[in-house]
Amino acid sequence: MVTTSATPVSRPDAVAARRSAPSCHGDGGGDVPRDGRPVVALVGSPNVGKSSLFNAVTGARRSVGNWAGTSVEVGSGSWRAGAVDVAVVDLPGAYSLDPLSPDEELTRDLLVRAEPAERPDLVVVVVSAADLARTLYLAAQVLEQPLRIVIAMTMGDVAARRGIQVDTAALGAALGVPVVAVDARRGKVAGLAELVREGLAGPPRAGTGVAGGCACPPGCGGDCCAASRAVPGGDATAAPGAPKADVVGTDGEGADLDDEEFLAADRRFALVAQAVAVATRRSGTARADWTDRVDRVATHPVAGPLVFLAVMWAVFQLTTRVAAPVQDALGGLLSGPVSGGLRGLLGLVGLRGSWVDGLLVDGVVAGVGMLLTFVPLMAIMFSLLAVLEDSGYLARAAVVTDRLMRAVGLPGRAFLPLVVGFGCNVPAVSATRVLPNARQRLLTVLLVPFTSCSARLTVYVLVSSTFFGAHAGDVVFGMYVLSIVLVILGGLLLRSTLLRAVGTEDLVLDLPRYQLPMPRLLLAVTWMRLSAFLRTAGGIIVATVVVVWALSTIQVGHDRGAEPVQNSAYGQLATAASPLFSPAGFGDWHATGALLVGFVAKEAVVSSWAQTYATEEPGDLHRPGSLGASLQDDFERSSGGHVTPAVLAFLVFLLGYTPCVATLAAQRREIGGRWTLIGIGVQFVLAWTIAVAVFQLGRLVP
Amino acid sequence: MTAPSPAAASPLRAVLAELDAGAPTLDEVARRTGLDRDVVAAAVEQLVRLRRVTASALSTSCPDGGCGPCPAGSGCDARGAPAPSGRRPVLVALSVRRPTPHP
Repeated sequence: MVTTSATPVSRPDAVAARRSAPSCHGDGGGDVPRDGRPVVALVGSPNVGKSSLFNAVTGARRSVGNWAGTSVEVGSGSWRAGAVDVAVVDLPGAYSLDPLSPDEELTRDLLVRAEPAERPDLVVVVVSAADLARTLYLAAQVLEQPLRIVIAMTMGDVAARRGIQVDTAALGAALGVPVVAVDARRGKVAGLAELVREGLAGPPRAGTGVAGGCACPPGCGGDCCAASRAVPGGDATAAPGAPKADVVGTDGEGADLDDEEFLAADRRFALVAQAVAVATRRSGTARADWTDRVDRVATHPVAGPLVFLAVMWAVFQLTTRVAAPVQDALGGLLSGPVSGGLRGLLGLVGLRGSWVDGLLVDGVVAGVGMLLTFVPLMAIMFSLLAVLEDSGYLARAAVVTDRLMRAVGLPGRAFLPLVVGFGCNVPAVSATRVLPNARQRLLTVLLVPFTSCSARLTVYVLVSSTFFGAHAGDVVFGMYVLSIVLVILGGLLLRSTLLRAVGTEDLVLDLPRYQLPMPRLLLAVTWMRLSAFLRTAGGIIVATVVVVWALSTIQVGHDRGAEPVQNSAYGQLATAASPLFSPAGFGDWHATGALLVGFVAKEAVVSSWAQTYATEEPGDLHRPGSLGASLQDDFERSSGGHVTPAVLAFLVFLLGYTPCVATLAAQRREIGGRWTLIGIGVQFVLAWTIAVAVFQLGRLVP
Repeated sequence: MTAPSPAAASPLRAVLAELDAGAPTLDEVARRTGLDRDVVAAAVEQLVRLRRVTASALSTSCPDGGCGPCPAGSGCDARGAPAPSGRRPVLVALSVRRPTPHP
């Protein structure tokens, strides 16, 4: 235990000394009023209502300005506390006297480092009844100083609404200082004024220890603190002339500064825990009970995963069913009137049938337009996920998923980047930096591509709505479940082969209370994600459309029976690669071409389909919905009539192989070129193998 | 009023031990230690300040820019979590920092 015995300073002495003595650290006391009145400082954590209290006690007699020599804003004013006129200083919010910010540094300097005569005559520590444990820590530190102290407790009404009652008498007895409840907004501060008056009439209390790790003697300039930090177990009070301090009870662990800080903080928390235990009483509120009851199911080891699956199934059902009619209408509008209108305009300027017609109508309108039809779907999906997130449910899903990952031996903390991966794989790869272990990082970077990013969702929805109709939502849901399975399978595969020595790390999640989602925030999040998707995907698609269009205009093939696009450079490349996918039932050049484009970016898969199919049928304005029909024809042909297993195999491969070149670049940056190539290989082999298995087994089903 | 638990004598140490032992949530830490849930939360904040624990606010994903060049720059923090103004954190992941072994 760290204790300090300091000579009490009487109030008249303190006032006199303040007029003449230099401070320990420069001009830190520059703005303390020096007119002979006692100085009362208000300190407290941010958001405890300290400034409201300051306003309530000072009324109009106050001013705000920077503390001398700093950019920290401090309020000062006058207060008649009982029969005593005092100068009040409203110090900035501070969680602790171990400063992490200039605001906290100022509070520490004034209460701890300033010589006794420079310190306030009385300190009012403002704590919140609604957040007692958090706000009492600063009080515990201030109690270590030889100061006159009064605790003012705010937010009693908020605490009462949460079913928390705080006994101020019991709290005062536990802390050894007077505690009074105040309600600054209603001007109820008379009790505080009386305690301040009484406090100023008496001597400062003896401090109980060294707060902030160092108590400087006058004139040291901070050197003593630096010296004590440099010496293991060093004691700030060892400097000549310093107040005497005894260091005891360090359990033999006070060998370095960190341990000393930890032990000091632990002792303060012991005081906080004891004070909270004896002074607070909780009555279970309906809201708390509701949260707890839901959590008993939502985080249950067995029921939790089932609830998670049910919730995600509902999300995809809602997304696909609600969005489908809007999507159809938009598709009809773009491929019908918009394309027709543009062709009409081009015809007026004599460009009908030219390369401009092909690029604009069959390329840009078909490709970008196809993406636009997904806007309603994405908006609904992002909104629903935002509701789940803001309500607090996704935090419970995180517990469930984390438990599953631990069960199969994957590092718990890998959950963080993998969750990010369901939005986009690129930042997910960067997010692996939170993992401390290099092999865990490597493993997680290799697993991130198996998380199904939102760009793949567009392909799932197009394909599943084309082939599975009313069951499209089930199929999309299944793809996300498969994504989780692939992460687990990939992890187990890598851990049993290339990465055997990966340790596990625990992950602790702080679960918030369930809360009603805020509409403004939901809209903001949805718009942010949607606009980001459109911005990025739009750029990629336009670029890809131009490249695919250019490749499709270069005729390199001479197959007279083939379509013109198939004889182009694009078609010939896709045709050359397509036999690779014949065992999986989609060895067609259209599907293969889309996968080649998807290697660059999955956002461009749908647009490349739209583009190449449209290129085949120029001017066919009477078949606006022909993409789906064309897809069906091609899958029917390539699968030998086993369309369903071929389509499922295609989706499985799309999920499993390389997500995009941007992810590869991020992987190369994090794990190097060799492991990135290994990752490409593992993903391709796993995706191809499962796709072939799906098709070959599926075709056996009658 | 509630009776102080045995862990109340050394709350930070008790909370750190339970985090280290794999307690999945702070509610579970509170249950195991017998400490008030708010004391546990405050203790974790202090452990973060003491750099004994790391805390990462997490969102489900970055702005969904798909697989292309990530548009995260405008709306994400370093971990890819979006942070629109005024948003409340809904999930905080905590990890116990382990000292790097000295040779």
